Amino acid sequence: MKARTRTIISMSGLFALCLTVGCERTPHEKVFTIGMSQCNLGEPWRVQMNADVKNAADKHPNIKVIFKDAQNDTLKQRAHIEEFVSAGVGLIIISPKEAAPLTEPVAKAVDAGIPVIVLDRRVLGDKYTCFIGADNKLIGREAGKWIVKKLGGQGKVVELKGLMTSTPGQDRHTGFRAGIEGSQIEVIFEADMKWLEPDARKEMESALARFDEIDLVYAHNDPGAHGAYLAAKAAGRETDIMFVGIDALPHEGVMYVKQGILDATLQYPTGGAEAIDIALKILNGEEVPKEITLGSRIFTTENVEAGGELIGS
Amino acid sequence: MSDELKSIPSLSPAHAAWWREALRNPVFTAAAAFGLVLVLGLIFSGDGAFYKWGTHRDALRQASVYGILACGMTVVIISAGIDLSVGSVLALVAVSFSILSIHWGWSPWVAIPACLAVGTACGAVTGGIIARFAIQPFIVTLSMMVFARGMAKYVSGGMKVSTAVQGADGTYSYVDVPEIFRLIDSRLLGENLSVVSLIFLACVVISWIGLSRLRWGRYIYAIGGNEAAARLSGVPVGAMKVAAYGLAGLFAAVAGICQAAQEQQGDPEAGIAYELSAIAIVVIGGTNLMGGRGGIGLTLLGTLIIGYIEKILSINAVPEANRLMLTGVIIVAAVLIQRRRV
Repeated sequence: MKARTRTIISMSGLFALCLTVGCERTPHEKVFTIGMSQCNLGEPWRVQMNADVKNAADKHPNIKVIFKDAQNDTLKQRAHIEEFVSAGVGLIIISPKEAAPLTEPVAKAVDAGIPVIVLDRRVLGDKYTCFIGADNKLIGREAGKWIVKKLGGQGKVVELKGLMTSTPGQDRHTGFRAGIEGSQIEVIFEADMKWLEPDARKEMESALARFDEIDLVYAHNDPGAHGAYLAAKAAGRETDIMFVGIDALPHEGVMYVKQGILDATLQYPTGGAEAIDIALKILNGEEVPKEITLGSRIFTTENVEAGGELIGS
Repeated sequence: MSDELKSIPSLSPAHAAWWREALRNPVFTAAAAFGLVLVLGLIFSGDGAFYKWGTHRDALRQASVYGILACGMTVVIISAGIDLSVGSVLALVAVSFSILSIHWGWSPWVAIPACLAVGTACGAVTGGIIARFAIQPFIVTLSMMVFARGMAKYVSGGMKVSTAVQGADGTYSYVDVPEIFRLIDSRLLGENLSVVSLIFLACVVISWIGLSRLRWGRYIYAIGGNEAAARLSGVPVGAMKVAAYGLAGLFAAVAGICQAAQEQQGDPEAGIAYELSAIAIVVIGGTNLMGGRGGIGLTLLGTLIIGYIEKILSINAVPEANRLMLTGVIIVAAVLIQRRRV
């Protein structure tokens, strides 16, 4: 019995340690408090979003952001919104995990007089203050157009898809197909690599085993394109094939382009900085648009040092 | 009817007895299941990709990380335990190895032993808690799974540890991929065998020696067969469990190093659900989940079965939904073939 008590104490000690490790706050001159609820910090892109929010907020000494991570749990995220409402924050930024279950908590916060900025993924209806998001279909289409131009209108392409049960995966797929429509580009092999680099490498190895001629790999994210590159490199065919990815995180996709691993990557902007701009406007009582669609940038071998090039819109 | 049957030569009494004997031999049935998978590959060859050695070399490479984890898992399962933490320990070691090798520029002679020590320590701690406090291995290794995943994220700051190194002023500089990463991800024998596959085979040999040639292995079987009886016979049950889980942790560390080298980075999200693949490999091979029965040769065959199923589905570009359904069916079929006839 004693032994068991000791175990329980030591385990709860460990848990308390885990909980405290993540929390660090910088003191600010307290004027406005913004609550930021992130659906999960497992993906580097979302880590980048939080970093963008933080960097933008740090420039304004009159705002303080409280970050919460829902760890991919819808109910946890719902609790975040309720906690922010009862804490009486000045504004809420939410990047929701999914629409339906989070619509009502967001609406209640708006009813309680707290403005809510919805980032990246939507909630249902119109009970929110402002939605900021990027357009995956447009990014996929722009990728397709660039590939058509780069290959001179014809070639054999491998498409490594993100999780096809997710909206970004579907949109980056349909957008791309719309972008190459009417050209002689042929997609000879496509597989779902579920956003994962090791899976992308496996699928690319299969494509290399089947086809002696591959001109280009279009992957739905940069880790996927990197995995494909590693597979091609192991087969000694990396110089014959071009690699295009999406997301363009500064230390990931953009770095790959700088290192000559990828030929191009298209940015999927986080909207973190824009969210803080809009938040300041709302807090100052200015009118803001209900919906903001973010532009995207393409980074290629030629323009990466100059900071990429604006596309679409 | 019976006359008719007797007239078929393969069912003559002598042959029938041979088949009965063979079907009782788990290695034979596992090999038969693998043979069936190979036949599937010969039929659905993906425009002839299956007839190229490169495809087989890649299948072996892809299965190696799972196989390395399965070696440790086999030992733990034979002791009537389970280890859910191997995927997380893999991630912890992958980020640690990347930080030490890429960011801090440590020599592999120091970095590799340090990483192996981290993995072994994780395993030994879980083994120690299981043995000392007599808690279900499921719960303790589940806790280590969560804890090690948290550690991996904490150590890496939630980011992939890649060749982009962030300086004090927040800007990124790029370093080369360390030589040891390239070495582990290279091939030998005229580009025909991946180094990670050799590492996997080494793990198989080490586990085989441990289980079949050392007293330690007999103790593990004895504990898995009947723990109380083993204890009464003077088997140091606690120490053996620490060793079993420690070995699983050590192999998880080896797998983590291989994973980092192949990805050229340490991903704190790596290895999610790998423990399930490792358990599936062990069970498909024919090792009994209740403990006390099984062996490392079976796990080698289980690794090949799972690895080749994945490869065959991949070269045929089977859509994801169908892959999952087919994998489920094939796993059950393989286990049914394996079922022990008494």
